[in-house]
Amino acid sequence: MITKYIKPLIFTTLITFFTACSSDDDNVNELSGQNAVAIDFDNGVNGDDLLLASATYTKTNAEILTITRLNYIVSNFVLIDANGNEYTYPKDESYFIISEENDNTEINLPNIPAGEYVAMRFGIGVDQDKYQQGAEGQGDFLQKAEDSFMMWSWQAGYKFLNFEGTFTSETVTEAANFKIHMGSHGSSLDNYKEVTVQLPTSALVSDNLSPVIHVGVDANKLLDGSNKIKLSEKAVVMVDEVKSPQIAENATEMFRVDHVHNGEQIQH
Amino acid sequence: MNVLQNIKKYAWSLLLFVSIYQVKATEKDSISVFSKNHFIFEYYDCDVCGCGSSGGSMGYGTIGNANFVGVRYIHQEYRSKQGIYNNSPWIDENFNTLQAWARIPLSSKIQINAIVPYHFHERELIDGSQKIDGLGDISIIGFYKLITPQLDGLLPEQKTLFKHNLEVGAGLKLPTGEYHGENNQGSVNPSFQVGTGSWDVLLAGDYSVSYKNWGAGVMANYTFKTKNDEEYQFGDQFNYGLNVYRSYTTMKMQTFTPVIGIAGEIFGENESYGLGVQDTKGNVLFSRLGLESNFGKFSAGVNVMLPLVQDLNSGNVEVKSRLGIHFNFNI
Repeated sequence: MITKYIKPLIFTTLITFFTACSSDDDNVNELSGQNAVAIDFDNGVNGDDLLLASATYTKTNAEILTITRLNYIVSNFVLIDANGNEYTYPKDESYFIISEENDNTEINLPNIPAGEYVAMRFGIGVDQDKYQQGAEGQGDFLQKAEDSFMMWSWQAGYKFLNFEGTFTSETVTEAANFKIHMGSHGSSLDNYKEVTVQLPTSALVSDNLSPVIHVGVDANKLLDGSNKIKLSEKAVVMVDEVKSPQIAENATEMFRVDHVHNGEQIQH
Repeated sequence: MNVLQNIKKYAWSLLLFVSIYQVKATEKDSISVFSKNHFIFEYYDCDVCGCGSSGGSMGYGTIGNANFVGVRYIHQEYRSKQGIYNNSPWIDENFNTLQAWARIPLSSKIQINAIVPYHFHERELIDGSQKIDGLGDISIIGFYKLITPQLDGLLPEQKTLFKHNLEVGAGLKLPTGEYHGENNQGSVNPSFQVGTGSWDVLLAGDYSVSYKNWGAGVMANYTFKTKNDEEYQFGDQFNYGLNVYRSYTTMKMQTFTPVIGIAGEIFGENESYGLGVQDTKGNVLFSRLGLESNFGKFSAGVNVMLPLVQDLNSGNVEVKSRLGIHFNFNI
């Protein structure tokens, strides 16, 4: 019977073919050129999406918040590759306002050199060096900050965080306003902080690869981070030498990269 | 992933074993047999598209040992989460597939199964509905019969009441369905595609036994997936199933065969540009209820699958139901 010979032949062929098929070519080493990196700041509160004015969020101390504004400044972006090399995005262009109410939650960093980036460092707020450049040195960022309620005045400086809404607690039964405006207060109190976040998947940049880094932001950390801020104690925190630095510290805890999209297209 | 790797290992061992066994085996019985009450749970790689968690284990309709050409319609309902938060909205996804399928004999022991699918899927995203349609991934798989049921006439006169059947197969899934990277954005189901865009290798095994009018079948198949042109690679997929059935023959020699069973699917992690994509692996176990009927040269069947346990894409994708209806002409 001819099938007697066909059988071994077919199986041998198949095995050879399948074995030959399993290849693991690595194209990561071939990255060259430059491209844009998008960073999406997806604001949430303790696992829930942030919905302005239409949802309530409960803190661990039983204070219940309705959030009406969450604006913050992110700056001085540095991308770190697998070998530990750092690429610092041009400082003058490295200041951004993330504003939930204006739907400004994605920033775009063009002309990033090709690489496999594994971590990212950035600042929350505006550093003293930048502020020392004076009003002229701020470029159009000053105007943007004013438009987004992120300035007290030039002398008082930038608000790094503008977090507002209403709350109730065991003692405050009628909804009361809260306002958390955190910043450096001129040059007397420096609340600028930097944070480094790891990317769960490398972000690949090359002439034809333009990744999106999707950051999950947990605004719950602002009041409920390492430092517990009680609104019932003080509902309006602006220039406060104790609470402002605590909130600045808490702000560094709210960023986590949820996932990275690698690909050619910069859309989400 | 470990589960899949183990399965992969076993799949290879099985294939090796089978091939060695075949080299040693002596020709016993190469007569094609047809026993009216012995059904084979055919493997049909319902191409993984529409995608990741589709088709797979729905695959095997209870087809009498016949060769056929036919059509099958599959409707699958999923929901998947758009967004990364607990309160992110769930969106509904409907996957529809119309297939031309056939099982054609090459020799008494070798059959070729082919499936040509056409997909039309739609989902309701937050900012409007999205529809995709087009030719899917064609798959071709060759089956070899290692054990064939004994031929001894029609049911009332059968001497051998216990029969069994063992088939192994291997094949290819072709990248005939277009893969669009832009449909694979955000945190929504990455499988909303009409094709994987990749050349995939299929291995399958199928064993069934029957006693009088009763029968049972187990099947397993493994799909080795490869990278597509857009550097995306869907995770390997393992499907398995167990079915029990009973055949009823009417006076006019029509046969009705109700089937009950379970079917499961295990998916490996997808890769994008060689890097693992989080929240893409998973598994699901279905219950299955079906009815197959034969009348003359024609056969028809309907199958419903409902999930019993599932953990797909870290809970971000849920399969709700699957329905398959087929109509075949036996050749």
